[in-house]
Amino acid sequence: MTFEQAKTVLVQRAIERGVDAEVLATNARELTLAAAGGRVDEITSATRGGVGVRVVHDGRIGYASSEALDEASLAWVLDEAIENAALQSARGAVILDGRALGRSDLIGEGLSAPVERKAEAITTLESALTADERVDAIAFARYSESESEAVLGSTRGADGGYRNGYAVLMASPIMRQGESVKQGWEIDFGKEFHAIDPTRTSQRILEKVGRHLGATPLATGRYATVFEPEVVATILQLLLFSLSGKTVAEGKSRLAQRLGERIASERFTLVDDPTLEDGLASRPFDAEGTPASRTALIERGVLRSFLHNSDTARRTGQANTGHASRSYASTLGVGATNLLLEAGEGVTLDDGVIVTNLMGVHAGANPISGDVSVQGLGLRVEAGESRPVENFALSFNLFKLLERIEAVGDELQWRPAGGAIVGARSLHVDALSFAGA
Amino acid sequence: MLTPSTAETVLSAARRGGADFADLYVERWRRRTMRVIDGEVEDAVSAIEQGAGVRLFFGTDVVYAYTNELDDASLGDLVATLVRLRGSGATDGHVDELGAGGLDLRRNGAQGLHAPRIPFDTFDKSWRLERLRELDAGARIDPAVMQVEGRLLEWEQDVLVVTSEGDWVEDRRVRTRCSANVIASDGDQTQTGFVGPGLSVGLELFERELPADIGAAAARRALVNLRAVPAPAGTMPVVIGNGFGGVIFHEALGHLVETTSVARRASVLTDKLGEQVASPVVTYVDDGTTPHGWGSSEFDDEGMATERTVLIDKGILTSYMVDRWGSLKTGYRRTGSGRRENYTYAPTSRMRNTFILPGDVHDTSDLFQGISYGLYAKAMGGGQVMPGSGEYNFAVTEGYVIRHGEIAEPVRGAMLVGKGPDTIKKVDAVATDLSTEPGMCGSLSGSIPTEVGQPHLRVSEIVVGGEA
Repeated sequence: MTFEQAKTVLVQRAIERGVDAEVLATNARELTLAAAGGRVDEITSATRGGVGVRVVHDGRIGYASSEALDEASLAWVLDEAIENAALQSARGAVILDGRALGRSDLIGEGLSAPVERKAEAITTLESALTADERVDAIAFARYSESESEAVLGSTRGADGGYRNGYAVLMASPIMRQGESVKQGWEIDFGKEFHAIDPTRTSQRILEKVGRHLGATPLATGRYATVFEPEVVATILQLLLFSLSGKTVAEGKSRLAQRLGERIASERFTLVDDPTLEDGLASRPFDAEGTPASRTALIERGVLRSFLHNSDTARRTGQANTGHASRSYASTLGVGATNLLLEAGEGVTLDDGVIVTNLMGVHAGANPISGDVSVQGLGLRVEAGESRPVENFALSFNLFKLLERIEAVGDELQWRPAGGAIVGARSLHVDALSFAGA
Repeated sequence: MLTPSTAETVLSAARRGGADFADLYVERWRRRTMRVIDGEVEDAVSAIEQGAGVRLFFGTDVVYAYTNELDDASLGDLVATLVRLRGSGATDGHVDELGAGGLDLRRNGAQGLHAPRIPFDTFDKSWRLERLRELDAGARIDPAVMQVEGRLLEWEQDVLVVTSEGDWVEDRRVRTRCSANVIASDGDQTQTGFVGPGLSVGLELFERELPADIGAAAARRALVNLRAVPAPAGTMPVVIGNGFGGVIFHEALGHLVETTSVARRASVLTDKLGEQVASPVVTYVDDGTTPHGWGSSEFDDEGMATERTVLIDKGILTSYMVDRWGSLKTGYRRTGSGRRENYTYAPTSRMRNTFILPGDVHDTSDLFQGISYGLYAKAMGGGQVMPGSGEYNFAVTEGYVIRHGEIAEPVRGAMLVGKGPDTIKKVDAVATDLSTEPGMCGSLSGSIPTEVGQPHLRVSEIVVGGEA
């Protein structure tokens, strides 16, 4: 039985059993090539898929999934999901009324290049890094691609599917200049193999890591600060926690009571757009079959919306924004897609610190309070000249930081952050405290 | 799960493609997770996982592929892809008669050493919910208990390993774990307590561990932390509790004697066999055969029978934990230590049930004698380790000050900081009250069940980081 057939069988059986159900089936193919010493030395090739059912009966939810698609396994899955639902106390859950959602192909032949070309891409990148005499070692150099197909069906009429994928080049060199050693990494990705470029990527990595060689300690003090887009992506990922309808429904979002209020500088506009053409996280509908649409989260500093699925929308009394996320084996959640920081007029810095890297954000940031205290790496700018600085910690509160944005960059950089793809730009903030030497 | 002819076809194709060795791993899991908060089911999830992985060795280069379509065509494609990809690099493999002929399969099956008495399909779900409600009731020992989360995990895994050397090995592993996470608050601050026993057993887990006792133990731990004062900082003697206290040596010593790091010379204990690496009172064992141990199985994920491996005998390093790749790289004998989370990972050398053996201090209270000021780290939480150096830091989740040989006031926020290979040399007394506890160990080949354990033991000095 194929994944598509398994989905159809489960929807049909659920109707016969008199329960509402939503069935999600995915099938993915992955390839990873790692290079060392000028050749591919590690290969992982994979196909993985499964079917997951979310049963709702009398307002109660139960889940079950299977990677085996024989009749007996599917029968077990439906029995278990119904039994699991029966254990809950009624909580008003529903399966949304759905409709035909069509079939979309979002990548076409984008990954169809022969594997020899992909092997060449990663060995080219690895060799270009090794050729730089400042490179001591390479922690990893990897090409990966993934191609997946998802289909969704429900007893309430949802029926649709789409095919998506991406290709990624990633490497992490360890560079040395005298006693100064720095390790960093960079990633290049796109929906199509020909959109990634090993030569350009190697240059970017060497520039990005190499500029920190010879870094000296930063003197403790308050500095005007520019966060590079990569750092901004990390900060926005932290903000996503408070913008998730799930966080709001669980009573953990600091922003819960502030819809319609000004929470950030008016230079700050943040949207989530799953309809973006060529967006890596674009998709025609979410995990509950709600068609995709653009959601303004923060508009010129004013909080306009949270990200919701049907469940968090119902629990908070707000509108469903179509941000349900789920894999076949997981429970229903909320997830961003292409999260885009709208362009500003650009940033300049004559005197201050450009923060290029934050370390230990997972341990050093409290997503609920927004308090962040982390180690950083950066560039000290004085009279327009910059030099690398290290060994400093910076502390700020995320929510206060948003109010203090003085300028937003104009250049866009897409970065993966959590499950989302973040379209980040530089941010200029007035003086922040840095603890250094 | 697979016919011998399919396995032979796949492995022969690998050998014909130039692989020196190939193995095929097939598994099917049934899993259930039930999570109950304050007596109400938050979510209940059931799952079947099924898949196969093929691994090809070309010299010591390893390529790996996996799928969850188990038909001949899909598995054939898998090998063909690996051979084609590998063909684009160097090939040191060679073809011999094994590649062409059939395999003379030698069947080996589990004897049921860890088999459950109450299997996966016994009792209905409401029976399970009742147990978790008993856990909830057991935890309500004080008005400060605010939230009780009970969780029941049930795993049933069937495994088949077939190798190009003709091994056909089947194993079944059944594991059950029940945990309580209690949040207590006195209005001023909030503390949590966690207790989570688990074994290679079925639902008879609840006969060995009463649900109410699990809840009460977690609640007591949260309540102790509520009345705890900030921990002192400094270098001092530390008595580490039995059971999960062993997590320090798991992280900061165990991982350093896996060939995964030793073969890459990425461990400070590389090339140290026969040397005194620990205090003479320490004997450290990794045992895959402990009856019904959380980390036990009859065979490892490379199809080798598990064994009891003495890693350190009276302070002398006697063995590493060795998988097939590690054995090829280093020449050390395999120890049945090849493990993986599931078919999406190739196996690497991993721990099973790892613990320090009982010492000669029969009365645990004797460990505290003579300590004028120190720390009793009764329960440990998570931590971090730098594998190259063995540097670690671990949080103490239940700790007390030791004053004049007596256990005094509880403290919170204590961190133990040090280097594993140094700390193990400073163990100066080991009690006899060995116990073990389940954990999940994450590494290259995923997250796997392992037991950690030790008797109460004393370390002459450890750096304790307290609250700033």
